[in-house]
Amino acid sequence: MYDFHNVALTPNQSLLLNIAILSVIVYAVIRSERRIEDSNPLVMIGILAIFGIAGRILLDPLPNFQPVTVIVLLAGIYYGAPRAVALAGIIALTTNFVALGHGPWTLFQIAGWGLVGIAGAVFADYLLKDDQLQLNRLAVLAIISAFAFDWVVSLSILLNADASMLVPYLLNGLLFDLYHAVGNLIFVAWLANPLSDLMLRHKIVPSSRAVNQVATN
Amino acid sequence: MSNYLKPLSVVAVIVLILLAPSIRDALKEEAATYVNDSESSHNGLPESWNNSQVFCVLFLDQVSHPKFTSGVTMIESDGSILGTNSEYNGTGACVGGFSGYENGLDLMNDAVNSSGNDLVYNSTEFSFGLQIDSIGNIEPCDVAECSDSSGAYWALYHNGGASMVGISDVILEEADVLLWQIETW
Repeated sequence: MYDFHNVALTPNQSLLLNIAILSVIVYAVIRSERRIEDSNPLVMIGILAIFGIAGRILLDPLPNFQPVTVIVLLAGIYYGAPRAVALAGIIALTTNFVALGHGPWTLFQIAGWGLVGIAGAVFADYLLKDDQLQLNRLAVLAIISAFAFDWVVSLSILLNADASMLVPYLLNGLLFDLYHAVGNLIFVAWLANPLSDLMLRHKIVPSSRAVNQVATN
Repeated sequence: MSNYLKPLSVVAVIVLILLAPSIRDALKEEAATYVNDSESSHNGLPESWNNSQVFCVLFLDQVSHPKFTSGVTMIESDGSILGTNSEYNGTGACVGGFSGYENGLDLMNDAVNSSGNDLVYNSTEFSFGLQIDSIGNIEPCDVAECSDSSGAYWALYHNGGASMVGISDVILEEADVLLWQIETW
């Protein structure tokens, strides 16, 4: 009867709408996290997945600007490589399947983000000193991760193009890599601290340190 | 320690937004690769145009077009510059990335539009078709000596061979290449 949903939004309006929705989700998730008592990291993985999925889909109008790389990197630092890779898989598969388009590249995206998560886990001790996130180092790694992720995903063109096309393809994509890198810098600068507070509360205590803690008690 | 990270990230965004167009053009030029196959009518043209229709104009070196002074400038159908092939045998410009054109004159008109009218032409309508008098405001006799016994004209090539018909009668297929260059007699 009434066609109230037939409203045409300009791209800018829909981007603003998406950012508003994302803010509501982030705010609601942060509020609800305070009530999670147990320190089960899988709950946090779920929360991070919601962040990543919502962020990637809603920020899609901005080229290559999404929080997933930084989230997976943080997950690697706090929760280790396996959980970070799982998170990468969940986010890539869900976002591609629901909204952005699923295909062979999904596997390359999972590999790319998985690699970012593994890097986070490998450099965890370097990036996290006395539970204090070293933001400058994280920013550098996040910028490198942007390029590494994009180049891993670019390898998917080898499925239907020959190797000589790879270098021109990568060169053509360099601007999008830069968007990704600057986006990561933004997320590290503005999101890493609140997110890491959240994650620290549900951090897994590695068994070796856990014994230590028990001993001090 | 990380106090400056937030302002730095904002500055980085602003710088990137300001620089994006020039970075894009520079990368595009850097990434352009050209067909290297003397048998192909696309020889010397960007590989990304392999399946598209292309319109080229070559000026004689001695009277280069004011804008196209060296090599062959490759212009996309949207008017953006793809790059300049300095290895190309000649000086001028090509406009490519077109598809679906069946008539030579239609392609030429749209290519001239894409070039921002740098390739604007003058023509005379004859009963047998259109004769091109000047392209890019250059007339053949500006470049070559024209007398009673000699002259110069804009010659049309279709896929590398001299066209048998005038521009308004050329029937195009996909990936065809039209080229004008000045010839003397």
